[in-house]
Amino acid sequence: MSGTRVLPGIPKNKRTCLHKVGLSGEYMKKSLFYKVFGTYLVITLIAMLVVGFYATRQIQSRLMERIDTELMSYAQMININPSQSEIISKINSLSKTSNARITLVDSDGVILADSDEQASGMDNHLNRPEIEEARVKDTGRSMRFSKTLGMNTLYVALPIKEGPAIRGYIRLARPLTEVRHYIREINLLILQSFLIVGFLSFLIAFVFTSRLTSPIHEMEQFTERLREGEDPGSLMINSSDETGRLARNINYMVLELKEKIQSANEEKGKLESVLASMEDGILLLDTDDKIEAINDASKKIFTTRFHDIVGKTPLEAFRNIDMQKALDRFKETGTPVSREIILGEEDQTELDVTISPVHGLPEGKEKAMIVMHDVTRLKKLEKVRADFVANVTHEIKTPLTAILGFIETLEGGAIDERNTAKKFLHTIHDNAERLDRLVDDLRVISDAELGDMKFSFEDVSLNGVIENALTVIERKASEKRLVIEKEIPDDLPSIWGDRDRLHQIMLNVLDNAVKFTPDEGKISIKALDGKDGNVYIKTSDTGIGIPKGEISRLGERFYRVDKTRSRELGGTGLGLSIVKHLMTAHNGRIEIDSQLGRGTTVSLIFPTYQEDLTA
Amino acid sequence: MAEKSHTSIQYEKELQDIKETLLYEGALVEKAIQYAMQSLLERDSDRARNVIAADDRINELDKRIEENCIRLLALRQPAAKDLRFIATAIKVNGHLERIGDLAVNIARRALDLNEVPPVKPYVDLPRMSDITREMVKESLDALVKEDCELAEAVREKDEKVDNLNEQIFRELLTFMLEDPKTIHRSLMITQISKSLERISDHAESIAKMVIYMVTGKNVRHQGTARDSEK
Repeated sequence: MSGTRVLPGIPKNKRTCLHKVGLSGEYMKKSLFYKVFGTYLVITLIAMLVVGFYATRQIQSRLMERIDTELMSYAQMININPSQSEIISKINSLSKTSNARITLVDSDGVILADSDEQASGMDNHLNRPEIEEARVKDTGRSMRFSKTLGMNTLYVALPIKEGPAIRGYIRLARPLTEVRHYIREINLLILQSFLIVGFLSFLIAFVFTSRLTSPIHEMEQFTERLREGEDPGSLMINSSDETGRLARNINYMVLELKEKIQSANEEKGKLESVLASMEDGILLLDTDDKIEAINDASKKIFTTRFHDIVGKTPLEAFRNIDMQKALDRFKETGTPVSREIILGEEDQTELDVTISPVHGLPEGKEKAMIVMHDVTRLKKLEKVRADFVANVTHEIKTPLTAILGFIETLEGGAIDERNTAKKFLHTIHDNAERLDRLVDDLRVISDAELGDMKFSFEDVSLNGVIENALTVIERKASEKRLVIEKEIPDDLPSIWGDRDRLHQIMLNVLDNAVKFTPDEGKISIKALDGKDGNVYIKTSDTGIGIPKGEISRLGERFYRVDKTRSRELGGTGLGLSIVKHLMTAHNGRIEIDSQLGRGTTVSLIFPTYQEDLTA
Repeated sequence: MAEKSHTSIQYEKELQDIKETLLYEGALVEKAIQYAMQSLLERDSDRARNVIAADDRINELDKRIEENCIRLLALRQPAAKDLRFIATAIKVNGHLERIGDLAVNIARRALDLNEVPPVKPYVDLPRMSDITREMVKESLDALVKEDCELAEAVREKDEKVDNLNEQIFRELLTFMLEDPKTIHRSLMITQISKSLERISDHAESIAKMVIYMVTGKNVRHQGTARDSEK
């Protein structure tokens, strides 16, 4: 995860998901068009069906009436002159004129003549509905399917009377092909007009939907742009209907949204810059206790060992019991918990950790925030100071106790024994000298630290300084039968420094080498001009060495690797501390390299005179 | 585990819980070794007593992890990687518990040694303790990160610890030969050295289980990758 994400936005995948669900403009347009067009079509169809139904019925009944009247009048005309033989002889021409089939039946139902068929082969017709009706009512009509004509046929029958007696019947029949024909024509017309109307409604629906969807489409694109995070401008729809009002509402909403987003961004920016510029490390834990976000300062606090901690639980990330205990306590009580926690092993980081709840999240969720204040330096300083006070009192107390003790002994009568008294006085003198040395050293230190030290800088030859220091140290070295090796070129460049202070530096370094090297060891001094603007003086010994972890603390006042031994050797614990300060005053530095049990190399690095001038 | 979401949130939680408890146990064990060795090197008996007292907690966690693992096996029938994780958790749990016991052993010896003057300044023992602690730490780191390379690195460190163990033994042997009065103390120191060596072995086993969990390959009773290159 790059950068610090304090306020998570909508995840990207959710956006694409939204996109899939959203309707595309084209699709919406089509669906709306089909809806409108379909509605039109259905309405037209229903109208046509209703019209068709009534029209057909009306036309059919009118036509039937007409045919009925026609047939009836023909029948009556034939019946005016009821000479049977004449009818029989003229039946075919009569049939042609009336455009009907004519049948002559006698009173018993026997066919006398038929215009379309041989009369002899036909059944008795007395029980036909139209004949029966004619016998009773004087006129008879019936519509049924004629086997002879093979279609729906209208039959009309009249009785042939002589006075009241019925002599026979005359029947006219006409097939209803004409009616069928008419109805088919009408239906065809209706279908045609349906198609025309359908086409028109298609056009109307298309125009209507385009007019309706174009503002909707525009709004849709507008909101799309808005969602993508672009500036969509404002909607330009000048319409007074619903879409126009909707557009105005949307414009208003967008304006408000913009303002809200801007203020939220500002808030977020403020929060982020505050978090980023904070000295304290901050971890945000989500509801599953996983680390959700960290700020830059925490990255500094967690060195390489703890990189990549986002998404892990604190236990996975740090595996620190104290941190976990603090978290458990926090979860139990729900109130802020403060602890001091040490992280790491080699170079420990001491943290002042406060775990507090993050309130005000939606749905009553509670996240936790871990604020870490790096107190490593503070603790170190605290310890240095505490050590210093303890050491100073201790260092002063030891010789004082000796002095007081011997004086008491002397007072108690030892003063009379001349030899013993002399020895005691000598011891008292030694201890007083040590006190004196200690106070001198302390003064140097405190002067150096306060910047009050007086230096008289001049051109100093390092050869002379090293030689002088060696002569002082030689007596002590020979007591321990130490071999001293020198490798000092005669043309060491001179440096800008204080002769006495340089002497003190050299003496302290050599004194340490002698002190911490066992009998019959070796001390070697190498000096060389590094040609890089520095002069190097390396003092190596075959002494007891210093553990790795302690090297960084060597410059501290009174700091001793092995307290008891150092004191036995008469050290004040201030030597290296003084060297460090004096080296700084000479713009130089000191480097210590050591292997436990093998020996120590102290390198003094001075800038040369020339370098100092250019600087 | 983390990258794959299970249908059951409860199941997910149970797996995570086992992992967390295991890491908690690991953290306790790491601290136990650290305190045990500190109590010896700094002659601070309080720390040693701390270690001995804290072992109850480690044992309790050991029991809990084992029960949870078995319950999960029975109820959820995990497959593939989850199964390997559970198997690893059970094994690592056992190793951690043993390391805890060994730390207690060291602490007990330290209590004894703190009562008598030292035989000699400790030189190799702190180094050995550093490497061993590093191994435990890194094997657990490898477990968290599912990092095979780191696990492989842990395995390679084991040799150093073995060598140091032997060196310490040889050195103490000369002391014992020179001065029989140091035998008792020297033996206690060799016991501590031996405990450290065993701890490093357990760390190595944890590293192997990590490799098994991630790759599915069983590298136990096999040489390290470096060995096979030779």
